[in-house]
Amino acid sequence: MITLSDIPARSQMPLTLPMGIFVVVMATAPFWLARVGLYQYLGVEIAIWVLFAMGFNLLFGYTGLHSFGHGAYLGIGAYAFGLFQHHAAISLWGGLFAAIAAASVAGAVVGAFLSHRRGIYYALLTIGFGQVFWFSAMKLHWLTGGEDGLLNIPRPDLVIGPWRFDLNDNAVFYWFVAAITIAAVLLMWRVVNAPVGRVLQAIRQNETRARFVGYDVWRWKWLAFTISAAFAGLAGGLFSMAQQSAYPDVMSLHQSGIIVMMVLVGGGLVSFWGPVLGVVLYFVARDVLGGLTEAWLLWYGLLFVIMVMVRPEGMAGLLHVLLRRTSGQVSTVKPEKA
Amino acid sequence: MALFEARGIQKRFGARVVLENISLAIEAGTVHGIMGPNGAGKTTCFHVLTGHHPPDAGSILFDGNDITGLKPHVIARMGVSRSFQMMNLFDDAVVIENVMLALPAFRAVSGSPLRETFGDRHLVDLALTVLDQVGLAGRAWEKAKDLSYGDRRALEIAVALAAEPRILFLDEPTAGLGAQATQNLIRLIQKLRQHYTICVIEHDMRFLFELADTISVVHWGQVIVEGTPAGLKANKWVARSALGEVA
Amino acid sequence: MPVFAVNNVLHMTSLVPHIVNGLTLGLLFALIALGFTLIVGVMEVINLAHGSLFTLGAYLAMSTIGASWFAGTPFGIWWLEFPLNVRYFLGLALGPVLAGAVGMLLELCLRPTYGKAPLYGLLLTFGAAIVVEEAIRLVWGTGEQSMPVPQMISGAFLMGGLIFSTYKFYAAGFAIVAILMVWLFLERTPYGAIIKAGAHDSEMVRALGYDLGRLRLLVFGFGSALAGIAGMVMAPIWGLRPHLGIDVVIPAFLIIVIGGVGSFWGAVAAAILVGLATGITGAYAPAWSLMSMYILLIAIVGFRARGLLGRRSALEN
Repeated sequence: MITLSDIPARSQMPLTLPMGIFVVVMATAPFWLARVGLYQYLGVEIAIWVLFAMGFNLLFGYTGLHSFGHGAYLGIGAYAFGLFQHHAAISLWGGLFAAIAAASVAGAVVGAFLSHRRGIYYALLTIGFGQVFWFSAMKLHWLTGGEDGLLNIPRPDLVIGPWRFDLNDNAVFYWFVAAITIAAVLLMWRVVNAPVGRVLQAIRQNETRARFVGYDVWRWKWLAFTISAAFAGLAGGLFSMAQQSAYPDVMSLHQSGIIVMMVLVGGGLVSFWGPVLGVVLYFVARDVLGGLTEAWLLWYGLLFVIMVMVRPEGMAGLLHVLLRRTSGQVSTVKPEKA
Repeated sequence: MALFEARGIQKRFGARVVLENISLAIEAGTVHGIMGPNGAGKTTCFHVLTGHHPPDAGSILFDGNDITGLKPHVIARMGVSRSFQMMNLFDDAVVIENVMLALPAFRAVSGSPLRETFGDRHLVDLALTVLDQVGLAGRAWEKAKDLSYGDRRALEIAVALAAEPRILFLDEPTAGLGAQATQNLIRLIQKLRQHYTICVIEHDMRFLFELADTISVVHWGQVIVEGTPAGLKANKWVARSALGEVA
Repeated sequence: MPVFAVNNVLHMTSLVPHIVNGLTLGLLFALIALGFTLIVGVMEVINLAHGSLFTLGAYLAMSTIGASWFAGTPFGIWWLEFPLNVRYFLGLALGPVLAGAVGMLLELCLRPTYGKAPLYGLLLTFGAAIVVEEAIRLVWGTGEQSMPVPQMISGAFLMGGLIFSTYKFYAAGFAIVAILMVWLFLERTPYGAIIKAGAHDSEMVRALGYDLGRLRLLVFGFGSALAGIAGMVMAPIWGLRPHLGIDVVIPAFLIIVIGGVGSFWGAVAAAILVGLATGITGAYAPAWSLMSMYILLIAIVGFRARGLLGRRSALEN
């Protein structure tokens, strides 16, 4: 089975074919989404969840730390953005900064508890903390508005120099979200290909060995959790703008499980791009299958079960095998000039 | 003064006392052997000396500093490096990456997201030099898990060497190796001893007698005999025990 | 909620119903966790579908009692003429058996994941949980339904000036009996001995000449049937809705980890602890009563990695 460790090792530059396809598809989506029978807002949703899923996969796929409570950090970001608009100032960057900051702080605190745990106990504690945040969001009415959530969260205008863009226009808003997502994905590409990313992967492969060659594994695990919470927070801030509200549902265990499913089905365990495939498949399945049957999640669940049984490397793994078979090439991990 | 010293180490797991009382001193520039029957506590002894488990009593000194109870990564950074009996490699990574991760120069830049892992010529060369020492330079771009058993053993040592150790702990490096591979390993260690202080666990007596300057025999969690290979051969107790028969 | 304090004058008296409430809840949690702990202990699979099988068992039992699918048929008319008691006990038998059968099917699906990281078993059962939940939604609809209960175990009674719900006592009693029976089964029968051997050493099971595949199938079926029984017993208290599963599997999961993976009495003790914590929190801050179990989890597992009575397990890797 191929793994995450070989695919990105090949390239020095972000100018790869998948990156090109990703950027082009993201940048042009508003022109063709409607023509293929989809709609503008779906693009916004997919872009936000791609951001969330990619950040999550830094932890899940790259570092091998299985968080089942990551929806909490998306939710915290969403609430932070909304609360900032309601109580501090109507400010786009201020709100997004608050979203990232709040989720990072929450992630850092939880990460400090988690990082000396391994395996299923790690996963379990992430569920425990996720539930605490979810439950708090439901019960702290004065702060979060309880089950109904925070409503009427504005989308502040985007101001760049002399230009002012109204983000209430869904197409403009899409480009804003897409730009942030592309920037974040480029940043993550850097991270996973830099020594940081290799150390995180080393910890996934062999925590003990990493420790004995001098890495403070606790600190790295903590860092991975905090960074992925920060990306979740950013996605959450955008999500609250998209929905113009923030509510506890996205923090539930169910939602946290769904993000794990997306990442796995897409192939996050074997490819940088896995989460993108997974997110797109999920949302398209929701809209296309959901148009045909009420029970679309039943079919998606079945697909997932079968995937875990026969192809745990997901769509990206499948694609990789198919490409290799059609091109007849054996992939090599050696960079051209090393 | 000895480079590495353990004084009265004791280790319990629950009610089970695994190490009763281990004291040993390793002089700089020597090869020190630890031998003893299976289950004598040799590997646990290594785990305690390198910080994997903190000892329940006793102290460990490295270069005059008390390192008792320090975290493994702190001890590793001071220059105490080790290999594992059950091979512990980064299996999905390529051979050179296994070595690079262990280089202090790599660790120094590991926090920076702006560098390219294999883009730094200097680091790649350093890693290749280390691989060359164990004869793996030609397989640098193969995956660790695709190597043969013997090559994995060699890589295990390369990873330990890459950390630029001042003392090298090798846990049963010959385990599972055939005669030829063992001979190669002996040659390798002969070469390494010129640059490093080495402490090696072995149950293969011939191997140890050929290499070691001093040997501690561990049994029932204690050092029961200590001395040079020649001295041990002359020791009646060793000669009479099951250990002596192998020699 | 079903227990009311009539006498609120003395502080202690007002706490008593909450403690009683917490104890019964704890026993019921133990009942829920029973099948879960069995499967974790023997197979080291975290069965996230446990809650869905619990829900499925309850729905199936409800349909058996109420003859929902065949109500109009001659057989249905004939069946509904039986007294509720008779139909109730048949439901109590049939619901769990069918849940057990679904559990066995799940075990067959799990086979490709054996020998891989525990993550895969966890993921597969999470997917299965969604499938079962959606299937329930498809068959029985999204609305909340209620489970009929025979006259003799419904209603309420008065004791020491406090009103207690009869059904809760019946359910708690049922839980005690079930816990003891499972314990006796594990401790006093040859099957139990084999299951326990499987928990520690699958090589041993093979060496003894037992078919490990069949053992796993049976254990999974048995564990799932126990989930179904728990669902049937809990349904009149919690009501029946398709997404009940997740409300159930999380406490079960927490209890196992607080108690320590693989420890039978650790799980029972943890369940009672969680029940008491929930009950007593309910006395002071009712809105937060369910939160207490997570706090308990973080407090205990944050400091004792293997819970109260846990031993080393492959799940840590």
